[in-house]
Amino acid sequence: MPAASAIKTLIVDDQQTMRSLIRTSLNALGIVNTREAADGEDALRSLVGLPVNLVITDFNMPKLDGLGLLRAIRAHPPTAKTAVIMLTGRADRELVQRAVQFGVNNYLVKPFTTQTLKEKIEAVFGPLQ
Amino acid sequence: MDPFESIKQTFFQECDELLTDAEQGLLDMESGTADSETINAVFRAVHSVKGGAGAFGLEDLIRFAHVFETIMDELRSEKMELTNVVAKTLLRAFDVLADHVAAARDGGQVDEARSSGMLDELKALIGAEGMEDEAADPDEDFGFVPVVLDLDEPGGFVSLDLPEPEAGLPVLEIPAEPEVANGVWIIKFAPGADMYAKANEAGLVLRELARLGPTEVTLHDETLPALDLLSAEQAYFSWTIRLTTEGDEASIREVFEFVEDDCKIEISREGGAPVSLETEPAEEISDDDAKARASAEAPLDLDALLARIGAVPTVEAVAEPVPESTPAPAPAPVVLEAIAEPEPVAVVAAPPPVIEEPAQDVAALIARAQTADVPVAPAPAREKAAPAAASNTPQPAAAATIRVDLDRVDRLINAVGELVIQQAMLSQRVTESGLARSSNVALGLEDLELLTREIQDSVMAIRAQPVKSVFQRMPRLVREVADMVGKRVRLVMDGEGTEVDKTVIERLTDPITHMLRNAIDHGLETPDERTAAGKPTEGVVKLRALHRGGRIVIEVQDDGRGINRPRVRGIAIAKGLITEEAILTDEEVDNLIFLPGFSTADSISDISGRGVGMDVVRRSIQGLGGRITISSEPGKGSKFTMSLPLTLAVLDGMVVTAAEQTLVAPLSAIVESLTPRMEDVHYVGGKDAVIRIRDSFVPLIDVGVALGFRDTPIHAASGVAVLVESEAGGKAALLVEAIQGQRQVVIKSLEANYQQIDGVAAATILGDGRVALILDVDALVTAQHRRKPAARSEKRLAG
Repeated sequence: MPAASAIKTLIVDDQQTMRSLIRTSLNALGIVNTREAADGEDALRSLVGLPVNLVITDFNMPKLDGLGLLRAIRAHPPTAKTAVIMLTGRADRELVQRAVQFGVNNYLVKPFTTQTLKEKIEAVFGPLQ
Repeated sequence: MDPFESIKQTFFQECDELLTDAEQGLLDMESGTADSETINAVFRAVHSVKGGAGAFGLEDLIRFAHVFETIMDELRSEKMELTNVVAKTLLRAFDVLADHVAAARDGGQVDEARSSGMLDELKALIGAEGMEDEAADPDEDFGFVPVVLDLDEPGGFVSLDLPEPEAGLPVLEIPAEPEVANGVWIIKFAPGADMYAKANEAGLVLRELARLGPTEVTLHDETLPALDLLSAEQAYFSWTIRLTTEGDEASIREVFEFVEDDCKIEISREGGAPVSLETEPAEEISDDDAKARASAEAPLDLDALLARIGAVPTVEAVAEPVPESTPAPAPAPVVLEAIAEPEPVAVVAAPPPVIEEPAQDVAALIARAQTADVPVAPAPAREKAAPAAASNTPQPAAAATIRVDLDRVDRLINAVGELVIQQAMLSQRVTESGLARSSNVALGLEDLELLTREIQDSVMAIRAQPVKSVFQRMPRLVREVADMVGKRVRLVMDGEGTEVDKTVIERLTDPITHMLRNAIDHGLETPDERTAAGKPTEGVVKLRALHRGGRIVIEVQDDGRGINRPRVRGIAIAKGLITEEAILTDEEVDNLIFLPGFSTADSISDISGRGVGMDVVRRSIQGLGGRITISSEPGKGSKFTMSLPLTLAVLDGMVVTAAEQTLVAPLSAIVESLTPRMEDVHYVGGKDAVIRIRDSFVPLIDVGVALGFRDTPIHAASGVAVLVESEAGGKAALLVEAIQGQRQVVIKSLEANYQQIDGVAAATILGDGRVALILDVDALVTAQHRRKPAARSEKRLAG
């Protein structure tokens, strides 16, 4: 049973609003160790130096999108096993399937509640403490 | 503040930016200059608006944005064709979207009929089936396997069983995708003489390449000999093209289809190994790796990606034991140089790449990306290559902007204003104290003065903003006005990046709005009239901003009918603004439209007029210390030019003395100054003085009397007359005792510190620490024109 406070999380979204919302929800769950990145490249830059346990990433972003980020994370040995949860819109089933093929660990449909976010994280790591 | 509420505010701020981006993209789509990235950017912007709206439960906005987003999605996936009709519809839909955002922010209502009508129009564009996308079920289980979290080694030791791609998944045909979206390609193109001999042209090839995406073209003319050695039938030039495209290599090759036999072409991904046209790497890879082909996914060039972000993995970074080591061929140094140096120049400077086994290299990279969960040891060569790449790669700039509360900036500006004054006072005291100019104190003060100026300039630059924030509202205005008057108009904007003080920007909107309305309503002809005049039916209105002579100049130009001078003249005569005998130049006739009470429209249209004439525009511009002029050519169009100071915080003034007071007259109002001769001064009714200046009489106002410092005017010949022009165009001569000189002063609001006083616009603090009043020339002139002793202001400053 992992302690929520120990999970290092990277939030990746090009929208400040979304990053803030995710961070607020994570904090409410006790996940306080968070970093943010504005796009896939930014995220990789951040990850390569300082790995995290969990990446929550939007799909549609400039420069490097969520799928590209996922693939890069999986292809890069030091980060290959980082848990990744992808944020998607409502109408993106096909996208989720592609993300699954590239090894995404779960996905979260926008808009989401703190409760859903919790369920998804627990689906990845098991019940949070 | 409730964190949720504060995030919501951030959202609306972001919305403004997103909408701006979206509108610009839509305008590019309308004008046909949009590429696939533009469409994608618009999609992203609308998608983000929708996403945020979803988080805050803004249902109306979500609904509208969703349909909009769906269309953008169809466009970017090329399921729908981008026609001009579609672009125009989207632009109108954008206006409704912006209304929805505004309504959500301000708690207002959108025009429901307009919104639902627009929705129907949008839905009609896609057709019913387009809206039936398969939604992702938030709880659908794709066979995710839980991860055991090891918190000691984030990312390193997480034991994770990735689901096998095929396992437990509903198998879905994934359409083959072109190469990685927006790949960057380096194309070296060296035409041979034969190519030209066959009447092919390099320029056409380059143009064709540019259709695939944005290009940066570098010309190599090193082999061009001196003129006397030049053979007209030889080919000397070659080019390096950096192309950003969604297209794959085949689509690039296609461009060279007709010339490839007669020129040397090398195509490579930026940061990848060059692939010459002769090799067929794509085929080889597919044959080698049928499984990879089945997944038909684009190759992910991780090395290039990591290099691009300045993080080439070093051996130390790979702390994990590496299961297997398949050394990939070391990329040749030249490739790394290309990665490390994003400037196209570096590519040019690099010697022609000679890469051994290029196909194998590419194959290795692709194979590596496609078997993503099998970690591959970095090639030994990386060890040496990495530091080089890291040191050569400029660190990407961190967030380039910050948001600052305007109040804080204003406080800073104010403090710097005080600093400037203090510094001037100090200088003056030191001078008065008789210290030598070469003394340490004086020299130190000189440095301080330079520094102060620099700080002042920098602080002013903080407040300076591009006029874009005003300009970006104009396309919508133009669309609406054009719709209303039934004209076809294209707005061309230029110089949106021109910066000017924020206070000026805030007050630019009205004059620009007015001039644009005027240009569309009066300037442009109807489509029929334009056709009859042999012009394209679509009129062009240009809005342009530029810096000139320390001021900002805004031009509004139309290609319409121009000013009808005989008619303007006739109206001016009929309204008694000029006499029938008056001989006016064309320019003077044109400028008659700025006179108060002049309106050429037979009936005041609610479009351009809104009940006010051009005189109001001129007055508001003059209120900002600016001027407006018009030039016009019959049948060709008109151009309004307004010029404004870059800031309202400082003012160029003429320091004068009147009734022993030091006063400042705004330089922008001053026409000239002269010493009155008694024979030119006349008294009307034995009391009000007028002065003759070159055959016209203007009121002579004793400033000391007008402001109430004294009751009796000074003798005209003993003073100096400053001829000023009021904002309304009225002229007067201000009689003062002496002129001290021209100076830049920091404006201090009198209302904020004392109260509003007729005839005084503001105050400033001079170098000697004394307060000086800044004259309100307009009020002085107007007061003189309708002066009655009893009506004089009670708020006297003195006496």
